[in-house]
Amino acid sequence: MGVGKKIRDWFEVRIGLDDFARVQFNEFRVPRNSNVFHTLGLVTVVAYLIQVITGILLLVYYTPHPDFAFKSVQEIMNTVSFGWLFRQMHVVGSSLMVIVVFLHMVSVFFMGGYKKPREMTWVMGGLMFLITLLFCLSGYLLPWTQLSYWATTVVTSFPTAFPLVGDFVSRVLRGGEYVTGITLGRFFALHVSILPPLFLFLMALHIFFVKRTGLSTPPFGLSSEQQSPWTEYRRETHPDGHPFYPYFVKKEIFMGMLYLTVMFFFVTFFPTLFLPEETNTPADPFRTPSQIRPEWYFLAPYQMLKLIPNKFIGITLQIILVAVFLLWPFLDTKKEPNILKRPILKTVFFLSLILLAVLTFWGHYR
Amino acid sequence: MRYLFLSLLMVLSLPLGSLAGYREEFEREFLSKPWAGEQVEEDACISCHVAEKMDPKFKNIPQSWKMSIHYQHNISCHHCHGGDPKDAEMSMSRARGFVGTPKYAEVPEFCGKCHVGILKNYLESGHGKALKSTGKGPNCVTCHGSHKDEQYIKKANIDIINERLCSKCHSYERAKIMKQALFLTEKKMGTLEESFKRLKAEGVYIEEEEKALFNIQAEFRTIFHTVDVSLVKERTDEFAKKLEPIEIKVKNTFHELWFRRNFSAFLMLLFAGMGLVVFVLSKPPRE
Repeated sequence: MGVGKKIRDWFEVRIGLDDFARVQFNEFRVPRNSNVFHTLGLVTVVAYLIQVITGILLLVYYTPHPDFAFKSVQEIMNTVSFGWLFRQMHVVGSSLMVIVVFLHMVSVFFMGGYKKPREMTWVMGGLMFLITLLFCLSGYLLPWTQLSYWATTVVTSFPTAFPLVGDFVSRVLRGGEYVTGITLGRFFALHVSILPPLFLFLMALHIFFVKRTGLSTPPFGLSSEQQSPWTEYRRETHPDGHPFYPYFVKKEIFMGMLYLTVMFFFVTFFPTLFLPEETNTPADPFRTPSQIRPEWYFLAPYQMLKLIPNKFIGITLQIILVAVFLLWPFLDTKKEPNILKRPILKTVFFLSLILLAVLTFWGHYR
Repeated sequence: MRYLFLSLLMVLSLPLGSLAGYREEFEREFLSKPWAGEQVEEDACISCHVAEKMDPKFKNIPQSWKMSIHYQHNISCHHCHGGDPKDAEMSMSRARGFVGTPKYAEVPEFCGKCHVGILKNYLESGHGKALKSTGKGPNCVTCHGSHKDEQYIKKANIDIINERLCSKCHSYERAKIMKQALFLTEKKMGTLEESFKRLKAEGVYIEEEEKALFNIQAEFRTIFHTVDVSLVKERTDEFAKKLEPIEIKVKNTFHELWFRRNFSAFLMLLFAGMGLVVFVLSKPPRE
């Protein structure tokens, strides 16, 4: 008997591996009309894992202190064997992860996947998207460059728009009056020890909800099950659907490979896209750069804030928009899951996407 | 009601675009808050020199300084002219070290406070001796300019030695021989500077090499301030040799960048290939 079989049998006796695999992979079925967007959840997991692995490798050499942070990052880029590769993967990966999570949410919204009984799944996903942005914000300061220092200065100034508590919130974020070593320490702790377990916890809950309710059926084309009112718990089993393994697993592996291909495409052909020349200049609190601009994923809210004369209204409006985004399943109680059959929602949806794109480009080319 | 709320948000957001000119005010407001982050160095010199009531011939000085090589290296007014830029009332006080504008013959000592090596060689040169004996020889500003008359101090290079400038006082012949003697080493330095720019754009941090080149350049340029052609001819090879380790480092760095690009291209193709194989194998099961 081979070693592999022995190990397998050892686990089989103890945890019923065959039964687990049968239930989770063979009997778990996906809708017949499932599409490539259904795989974006797993691509997010792949993206997160890449960030964790490359992040741990960077952590080995990174020093979170204003006197050494910049130098340690330069050492990673220029001296550590393949340090450049891990940093590039981490930097490019952070932007790609924002895109993937965003696409996942947009596709779920478009396919009505947030509707009853999946409200909590949506909220968990929305919170994970916000945490992804927090990951980006906190990680951006860590190399302690001119760009990161001043972008953080501007972002941590936003709460000051709020009367009474604004200054206090800003001070808490910075750990004082200015962006200093204390801010770096706080952002570092947030980036490596607070956000990752929080994200993992939400991810576990999200997957738990998905497994308990089954994958949602897209409201277009084929429909595997008659939609009856959701008065008690039941799982969408998709008896006429495709088995999760091997059909859907292969699809997900393909998307994982595509993700890595896109990542290395950027590393190969656009190595300075996310690491422009300014990222080679150490932070200088006495010299304000001519242009302070946040990373691309914050350009839309940044541009929006600039356009609204009253900053209190501007930030309050953004908080309301985030709240609407997170709690949308509870606001949208109409039963029709097909967005194409709801002209007003369809218009709002596409207009929002266009507005987001316009604000982002506007913020970039102002 | 929900749609009304959302539609109002959208409709309100768009016309606000007409307030695009708000950007500057926005940034100024955030950055100028007492603790918003910008730890602005109070500079009384600049605030007075740009003021409305300032004599027009002094008004452009801050602008010229901002375009100069001194500004790029964080050299501010008080580093040369003394005084206290943080205290407007005492900014021009002799007690705070204010020296003001030097007289023509004092310019070499004025600049030589920082450019020590160059001052020594200049004073030993024909230029320096002429200034000391007659008070009319060329000083630093004659060739390098200053922030007067809308000029600005540019980064020094070999082109400062030119017929137009030298012929103001003497024939160009000797200066031409000097320029030829300097040419190869200066060209190497220029090439290295260009390479540094390219490497920086590619994300490579080359501060150490930049400092090394800066030191060699400074040392090399002290020599030609002697205006001694035979000395320059004699020592130019010595400096060219000093540049060799930097040139090797730069060459190796370009090679490293080439390797990085190829390695990540290999990974890209590897994952694309694996993806393709999985795609071919992942057709939906037959009915």
